[in-house]
Order: sequence, then C-alpha cells, then structure tokens
Amino acid sequence: MTPQEFFELSIYISFGLTIIAFLFTILRLILGTTLADRILSLDMLVTLGIGFIAIFTLHTGFYAYLDMAIALGLVGFLATVAFARLLMHRGETNDTPAGDKLEDIEDGDGSQEVKTSGGTN
Amino acid sequence: MLDIFLGCLLIAAAIFNLIAAIGLLRLPDVYTRMHAASKAGTFGSGLMLVTIAIHAGEINIASRALAGVAFFLLTAPISAHLLARAAYVAGIEPWSGTVRDDLKGHYKDKQGHLSSDEE
Amino acid sequence: MNKIFLINVLLAFTWCAVQGSFTFINLIFGFFISSAALWLIREQFGTSKYFNRTWLILGLIVLFLKELFMSVLRVAWLVLKPGQSYKPSFISFPLTVDAPHEITLLANLITLTPGTLSVDVSDDNKTLYIHCIDVDDVEALRKDIAEGFERKILEALR
Repeated sequence: MTPQEFFELSIYISFGLTIIAFLFTILRLILGTTLADRILSLDMLVTLGIGFIAIFTLHTGFYAYLDMAIALGLVGFLATVAFARLLMHRGETNDTPAGDKLEDIEDGDGSQEVKTSGGTN
Repeated sequence: MLDIFLGCLLIAAAIFNLIAAIGLLRLPDVYTRMHAASKAGTFGSGLMLVTIAIHAGEINIASRALAGVAFFLLTAPISAHLLARAAYVAGIEPWSGTVRDDLKGHYKDKQGHLSSDEE
Repeated sequence: MNKIFLINVLLAFTWCAVQGSFTFINLIFGFFISSAALWLIREQFGTSKYFNRTWLILGLIVLFLKELFMSVLRVAWLVLKPGQSYKPSFISFPLTVDAPHEITLLANLITLTPGTLSVDVSDDNKTLYIHCIDVDDVEALRKDIAEGFERKILEALR
C-alpha cells in the first residue's frame, strides 16, 4: 500500500467514525431527559459537523470548504449562548407590554415589584 | 511518509470525536457529559483542522485553519461555562453520585447572582 | 511593554518596505530579525523584560497544550472504562488573581485541563466554582491550580 492510498483509506475510516459519532449524539438528543442535555448534543453536533467538513475538505482537496467550517463554528457558538440564556430565563421573563410597564413606573409602589429583566451578563 | 503521519492524525482525531459522542451517551448527568463534549470534541475537530493545515502546505490556507483552531479553543470553554451555569441555575439536579456540592445555596436568585464563600 | 511590541512590528514593516515585498512570510521573517535587533540592545534600553515576558507567555501556551492533551486522554479513559465509578463534585476555588481578564484566562484554562470545568465566578470576583469529573483529594487539586496555572498567569501578565 502506498502512502497515498493509506491517506485515502484513513479519510474513509474517519468518515465512518464521525458518522457513528453523529448517530450517538442524535441518540442523546432524542433520549435527552433534560433540556440541557439536548442543548449539549446540539453543540456537539456542530463540533462534529466542523470535523466532518474538515474531512470532506481533505477528501475533495477544495479548500474553500474550510471557510464554511469556521463560519459554522461561529454560528454554533452563538446558538449555544442563546440556548443557554433560554434555559436560564425560561418561563420567567419579566417582559410586560409597554403600556403596563409605564403604569408600573408611574405607580410608585409598583416600581418596587418590577425586577430588571435580563440583568445577567 | 507525511501522508502516513497525516492519516494517523486524522484517524486519531476521528477516534477522539467518537469518544466524545460515547461519553455523551454513557456519562451519568449533564455536567459530566459537558466534560466529554467540551474537551474530547474540541480536541478532535481541532486536530482535523491542524491536519488540513499541514496537508495544504500553503501559508494562506494553513493560517486560516490555525485561526479556526484558535477560535474553537477560545469559544468551547465559554459555551461550556454558560451551559453549566444555566443548567445549575435552572435547577437541573447533579447526578446522585456527586460527592460534594460547594455551589449549593450560593445562588441568590434565578438571575444567576452568586455569592462567594466568604460571605 | 506594548510599546516595545509596537516598535517590533514597526521594524518588521520597515524590513518589508526595504525589501519591497509585503508577503506574509517576509513579514514574519522581518519580525524575527527586528526582535533579534531589540534583543541586542537589551542592556542599553532595558528591553530584557519584554523578552522574559515573551518566554513566559510561550511557556504558558506550551503548558496549556500539554495539559489539554492530558485532559483529553483522561476523559477518554473515564468514558471507556467499564462501570460507572466516577466521583464528580462541585468545588470552590479561592481566587488570587482579581483583574477580569486574568480571571477569564484562568477560567478558560481550567475548563480545558484534566477533569475540571469552571462553572461560575461569584459576583465579588473572589471565588471560582469548578465542576470536577473525578476527584479524590480536593485540597490537592486546589493546590495544583494555585501553583500551576494561577502562578504562571501572574508571572506572565504582571
């Protein structure tokens, strides 16, 4: 076996391993048990997707796919941040319609009740 | 010679990714699963990008791939931290085998304000 | 300190201008030549601190890569070993570093090192809460972090 053939073979092997990893991650996404587990598997899917694109780049030799992997990493990170915020503030946002908020502030007593929404960083 | 080395590197990276996925399936709770996803997963995909950087042999492609690696190493801890914190504040119970929990009772409210040990 | 780095970059650009080629490799080459020039005048102009710090930062990066590799191997072993005999725990770590960028760096380094994941920093920046996947001796782990990463960060950034 020439080195070139070995490299081709290793690309196919890593394709196979990554696809198995995808299946396991999707199984965790379905089983879940908590929302945090599902968010974590989505994050893991993005990571595996980056790896898959990286192998595909080596397979085709067309390096423009690399930009796609980096862009996917950026979007996936933002998605995880947004999901984490959702998990933290689920069902208890203090967003009230603009009219109600104005009344609360004018009220004087009511203003004590209004908590700052989204006060975390 | 270089092809054989790169092939081994690629397979090792894929195995690390697979281990991360197995860890996601096998470990008992979301906090321990986070360890597998944020370490083995990041390392596996990062190693694949390093393989591209060596394989390409051109400076513009290698610099792009290495910038991608640096980016993943920077963002993976941040998303793990945010997710762990959100999970704890949202009240997701740690695994029953958790030995000690210094965080217990330190979160003052659901907004995530946290008091330190000395207070 | 940043001023010397800027002079270094400026000298690298000067090298490129004199050479007449602004390729990336030539810029890197110029950077090394100009840092060698700055190293030559270290006693007259006091640039030796700049080089010390560069070495410390490089050492921090090497330490980080080594620890990352160790942590991946450790997680791999924990995942693959039979049975579920982990001892996960949340522990608190009293911080010596206090500047926000140092805490960020320490928390990120902790997350990518063996068996630890930083969860949150208290509001007064004094305690870092860490989740450990498998820990026997909490005090030993605290000591490891304090004398490993925290000391190196203090040396490199101050």
